[in-house]
Amino acid sequence: MKLNDDIILDIRRDYVLGKLRDGERIDGRAFDDYREIKIETGIIDKAEGSALVSIGNTQVIVGIKMQPGEPFPDTPDRGIIITNAELVPLASPTFEPGPPDENSVELARVVDRGIRESEAVDLSKLVIDEGEKVWLVFIDIHALDDDGNLMDASSLAAISALLTTTVPAERFEVGEDFPLPVRDLPVSVTTQIIGDYAVVDPCKDEEYASKNFITITTDSDDNIVAMQKSGSYLMGEETLMEIMDTSIKKARENRKLLKEV
Amino acid sequence: MIDLASRPIVLPGELLASNPKVAGSGTYIENGRVYAKFLGLLDKTDTSVRVIPLKGRYIPSVGDVVIGVVREVTGNGWVVDINSPYQGFLPVTENPEMKPSKKPNDVLDIDDIIIAKVMNIDPKMKVTLTMKDRMCRAVRFGRIIGINPARVPRVIGKKGSMIKLFKTKLGVQIVVGKNGLIWVSGDRRKVNIVEESIYIIESEAHTDGLTDRITEFVKRRKGELNGK
Amino acid sequence: MGSEEIRLIVDGKRLDGRGFEDLRPIKMKVGVLKRADGSCYLEMGKNKVVAAVYGPREVHPRHLADPIKAVIRYRYNMAPFSVEERKRPGPDRRSVEISKVSREAIEAIVMKELFPRSGIDIFVEVLQADAGSRTACLNAASVALVDAGVPMKGMISSVAVAKVDDVLVLDPMKEEDNYGQADIPFAFFIRNDRIESIALLQMDGRVSRDEFVQALEMAKRGAMRIYEMQKEAIKTKYITESEEEVNEVE
Repeated sequence: MKLNDDIILDIRRDYVLGKLRDGERIDGRAFDDYREIKIETGIIDKAEGSALVSIGNTQVIVGIKMQPGEPFPDTPDRGIIITNAELVPLASPTFEPGPPDENSVELARVVDRGIRESEAVDLSKLVIDEGEKVWLVFIDIHALDDDGNLMDASSLAAISALLTTTVPAERFEVGEDFPLPVRDLPVSVTTQIIGDYAVVDPCKDEEYASKNFITITTDSDDNIVAMQKSGSYLMGEETLMEIMDTSIKKARENRKLLKEV
Repeated sequence: MIDLASRPIVLPGELLASNPKVAGSGTYIENGRVYAKFLGLLDKTDTSVRVIPLKGRYIPSVGDVVIGVVREVTGNGWVVDINSPYQGFLPVTENPEMKPSKKPNDVLDIDDIIIAKVMNIDPKMKVTLTMKDRMCRAVRFGRIIGINPARVPRVIGKKGSMIKLFKTKLGVQIVVGKNGLIWVSGDRRKVNIVEESIYIIESEAHTDGLTDRITEFVKRRKGELNGK
Repeated sequence: MGSEEIRLIVDGKRLDGRGFEDLRPIKMKVGVLKRADGSCYLEMGKNKVVAAVYGPREVHPRHLADPIKAVIRYRYNMAPFSVEERKRPGPDRRSVEISKVSREAIEAIVMKELFPRSGIDIFVEVLQADAGSRTACLNAASVALVDAGVPMKGMISSVAVAKVDDVLVLDPMKEEDNYGQADIPFAFFIRNDRIESIALLQMDGRVSRDEFVQALEMAKRGAMRIYEMQKEAIKTKYITESEEEVNEVE
């Protein structure tokens, strides 16, 4: 028995497929179009940084909290990033209260890898006392409304929040406040694989039609910094390379929005 | 724009009348006073006071025509999702297509869509469905559209006027389920027009002149089709 | 709390310049979430909360369903970034208690018997917290329930009264909550523009019986003003053509 499913989304699965066969998406977008993206930063004053991103009706808020802590033994000269995602029940009829499930964990880890592997945050500048005290950067992703593609909304919100984060050195009496050093703009692009079709920025109807997707994150130089194939399906090489090229292109477009943050 | 002059919006707990005899649907009585039960439009006449809901989940009533999706097949019938907190159950005896030689899942299987009627509801809200009515059938083609169940009366229209409009002007078959699911079948582009019209009705349900606007809309879009 | 002498009332005014019976600025926006059946975003001072209602809907697991009435669930949750020192995600004891008393306030006014064997879920997320987040959440929850079309006897409006420097003040902010002598959160059941009864009551600190009576009257006056804003926010949503308007009141 399905848990709190949306019967209408369920029924529309065939309709989504039918439209795709006609070369159309149900909301009229091109296969590689994003819905409208809005980014608002600095909404949570108590956080060191914050951003609310909406992609279509999907809304995610990310808050950045920082505090001093011990460095990892093998990297005494680097700060630490910790990323967590809460897919709270408020955001969807299918989210239940409780500890993060595998989707929540996957989302947090993919967003984290994009930021970490692109070295977007210069962790070497987050040392207070080498070997003893470094800055811990908590990236907390809080889903508010799941209308598809929480992944890209979360990753945009994370980097937008980081871009507007101030390190609270004064509060912890370790110096003067300074802006968090962000030197790259990783952008993720999620493509839903529905049968033989690949659509960028899936809306909820499309996510319901197929659980299979692939997320590719690139940095400002178009290098690939994170990839996640999600779902039990087999993907051909040609399809993968097509998706990769589209993802690089779309990431470049979305990166322009970040430049205005 | 909602016309508030004739139908003001009321909130739960607003006092509507002090005569319990006029209490209609959407109201409750306490200490001889009639209050609004939920958010809605107040419809007040000399003889009755009722609140028309703006939102709310579908709660089945006996006699309702509903569209549902089969979720489970059992030995004596099918469990059907009717877009409600309550599931429906269709006994094998209530499906005219069932024959002694057939097994339940030969007739209806999981994910099949049916048009059925609510036959009985017991005090524990166990809902029994029937397909023994000429409106009822398994739906194997066409499109299902989902809307806020509170807007269904508007999609039907006064004395079925909206449905009649779609049938005559666009030649489609249409069945409107009380539970917010609507089945439409016909030429694909005409079904698209019906779908768009339904979404307009859903968002403008309680405004004036809606019937005229929809008639105009249908006429215009049909004209565009023929122009192609 | 209050190890050092902090003066909370200076020259007859509170630290943030408010009069004793002034509410903090309140903003409300109804229907802000697409997936939820009803929703409300609310700001009360620096509190920023969002409430969502789902239901009536099926209860899972089934054995938790009640054969004669709907089961109400209320989950108060604070986002990790909502407070100065990051809070670990997940419910802590404080959240569990707040969820319980808030749920009970709502259970008292929702017509549960209309929906046997079903569930009505209220989820409230605190995105930023600043004293009185539980009252802000309950106000948002009440509006979200109305927005979802859930049948109720009336509405709930909530506000706290604190005693600071021997003076009673309405809608305490953080310093007043931390260093004050008492903190009393209230929630009232309001029907037809009148406060009928108390739906939630807690207390922390010490007051005399007479002080409590004064606090109650002050809270009632404050709650009525909040109720007016809740009504306005809801009606505004359905009056405007396009998006919901923000109902901003000082």
